Amino acid sequence: MRMVVAYIRRVFKILRAEVLVLPSRVAVLVFIAAVLALPLVTQDYYILRIMILTSIFAILAASWDLLSGFTGQMNFGHALFFGVAAYVTALLNLRLGLPPYFSIPLGAMGAVLAGLIIGIPCLRLKGSYLALTTLAFPIILMGLVFAFPGITGGELGLSGLKKLTGSRVADYYVTNVLMLVLGGIMWKITDSNTGIILHAIREDEVAARAAGINTTRYKLLAFCLSGFFAGIAGGLYAHFMRLAGPSTLEVGLSFQVIIWSVFGGMVSIYGPIAGVFILNPFMEVLRIFLDNFPSLPEMRMFIFAALVLLTLRFMPEGLIPWLRDKVESECPRCKVRNVFFRRSCRICNAEMT
Amino acid sequence: MKSCKIIVVLMVGLALSWGLFLSTAAAKPIKIGILGPMSFTQGEGHWNGATMAAEEVNAAGGILVGKEKRKIELVKVDTNEFLSIPDATNAAEMAVRRHKVDFLMGGFRTEAVLVMQDIAMEAKKVFIGCGAAHPQLCTRVLDDYDTYKYWFRLTPINSSYLGKVDFILLGTVGHIIKTQLGVEKVKVAIVAEKAAWADPIVAAAQKVIPEKMGMEVAGVWRPSPVATDCSAELSAIQRAGAHIVFTTFSSSVGLTFAKQMGELKVPAAPVGINVESQKTGFWEATNGAGNYVLTINTYAPVAISDTTIPFVTEYRKRFGETPNYTAGTHDAIKLLQVAIEKAGSIDSDKVVAELEKIDYTGAAGRVVFDKSHDVTWGPQYVTSIGTQWQDGEIQCVWPYNWEGVTYEGSKPYQLPPWVVEYWKK
Repeated sequence: MRMVVAYIRRVFKILRAEVLVLPSRVAVLVFIAAVLALPLVTQDYYILRIMILTSIFAILAASWDLLSGFTGQMNFGHALFFGVAAYVTALLNLRLGLPPYFSIPLGAMGAVLAGLIIGIPCLRLKGSYLALTTLAFPIILMGLVFAFPGITGGELGLSGLKKLTGSRVADYYVTNVLMLVLGGIMWKITDSNTGIILHAIREDEVAARAAGINTTRYKLLAFCLSGFFAGIAGGLYAHFMRLAGPSTLEVGLSFQVIIWSVFGGMVSIYGPIAGVFILNPFMEVLRIFLDNFPSLPEMRMFIFAALVLLTLRFMPEGLIPWLRDKVESECPRCKVRNVFFRRSCRICNAEMT
Repeated sequence: MKSCKIIVVLMVGLALSWGLFLSTAAAKPIKIGILGPMSFTQGEGHWNGATMAAEEVNAAGGILVGKEKRKIELVKVDTNEFLSIPDATNAAEMAVRRHKVDFLMGGFRTEAVLVMQDIAMEAKKVFIGCGAAHPQLCTRVLDDYDTYKYWFRLTPINSSYLGKVDFILLGTVGHIIKTQLGVEKVKVAIVAEKAAWADPIVAAAQKVIPEKMGMEVAGVWRPSPVATDCSAELSAIQRAGAHIVFTTFSSSVGLTFAKQMGELKVPAAPVGINVESQKTGFWEATNGAGNYVLTINTYAPVAISDTTIPFVTEYRKRFGETPNYTAGTHDAIKLLQVAIEKAGSIDSDKVVAELEKIDYTGAAGRVVFDKSHDVTWGPQYVTSIGTQWQDGEIQCVWPYNWEGVTYEGSKPYQLPPWVVEYWKK
């Protein structure tokens, strides 16, 4: 009993000293609590569907940020990982009868393999050349999907997969808890030594190599890690939709991932997640709102595009970093973040300017 | 005294609001969700056809459910399915869970319809497909009847039957060329847009034309679906000595190809699928060069049934164009009315039982569903039609004495005069 009390005290202490002192951390805590509590407030199938898809796409967007944001390997064909995993998952489920908890991780391993296959030829390329090459891969795979309809289902894709779980609420918790856990893991990776190396490669690859870092190995690692997380998203999508079709490889999806990430704020992991959690439900809110104006069918995409453009015009770093900079400031001496109204740093007591 | 007045006013108000509530509850409309890509022609067809039918039914008092007449309320559901499958599924889920529609109809892109079908089946809502042709949508009914029994496909006829009609049209024109022009071995140029859906048709044509139809394949050409110049292909087709061009077009290339073919007077007859030529604006868009193009179609001002000509005429008057097959939502609502009235209920299971027994003649023909809940194709059932542009008018030229079927108002097929002139030499 004493142990429990001690743990609870410790948790409260951490909360008070580390979390409640910064608005961004409070926001993350509120977000996690809200995500976990949503089914207690509503079990509306429509709302849960949107939130399930949002969490799946949030994993996908964060995985793109891990590769393109942190490592600077600009990937314009991220749908490849998503699509490969969706197809592998579907094949394993339909042909071998593997349940989702086996087919999804194995599908993600398929995406890792895809990451290796495209990572190796792409290692010599940089910038726009790399971006264009990566853009080509999902298109090539789409060609293969149509070329072998006996295996891939061709234009229709593979349908009739087992449901992710038995109920919508369970689907919600599986996808959202995985989103939180995988988002946390990705964030920890970027905060680790490996993350610092990936960051260094993005900033100056020659300098990183001069420091004795095998940049090739780390870039390949970034492709594989990103592929794995995107693959989990692809597998979850296939089982939730009960379909793996050519739409999982479409160029539009690759660009959508970039829009979500850039809108939320790159090089942060939480930025892309927030971007998806804002934009995806926002599109549905627009759908409900515009239902009252049936003469404005095109307005939904127009409003979406205008919002993204305006955000990028006035918040070029993305929405979340912009908001964070408004409510928090960095200590000029120890670089620790403080809430904006503090006059002295909470750690070193230096004057905040 | 004053408080007495207030109480009386409150009670009257309460009674009135209850009366209003009860009266609206009594006349609760039947909600039908129309699923379609509403920013595209296909979705417009879904919506226009459904709107016309709902207005007609409502003008007659509504659908008789048991002893009360209930009006139809349509819910427009923009699925955006060409651009996003998740968007389509969200829209379908919203229709079912938020708008609480009683029935669903429409859908176009098969990949999206497969998922929307799952959503409808999970909610046990009758879903009448009016757009996707793939057979798999109906084989699901055979594979898992209890889950998928709420699905029915009304239009178009499934892609296997579409293929049959396609080859029947080709065979008909081949026969005319043989008999009228005295050509012994008819040569066919296969021209299909470079798209996945056209691949099986090309493969089948390459096999069927020489082996079963006694004709020769002059070559295969695959222009881009959005090509703006097909003169190279047309020159090659002319050099290959083709008598017939077997087309498979659903995109804008159909317009370019037909226009240039007419302008260059290529001595070959265009036959097959050309979705652009199903549109009323085709004649103006080709400046009349699209004359004699023959395509599979669903509606034309011919008496497929008693209701076809009034439907097509009214549709043209209201929307300025000939209905495409997604406007089959018109027939879908009418036959749903019959099923509901016979069932005396909007309960999905009872309506399904009636739909399985239904024998209804709509604007596109006689509808009877087979065991897989697919619309039956054949003589005396829905046949689909072949339409040809003849001097600015869309004419039905097939079925014409096919298995004893000729629709009143049909015209005989005409070979382009320059084809006759060229090959008679």
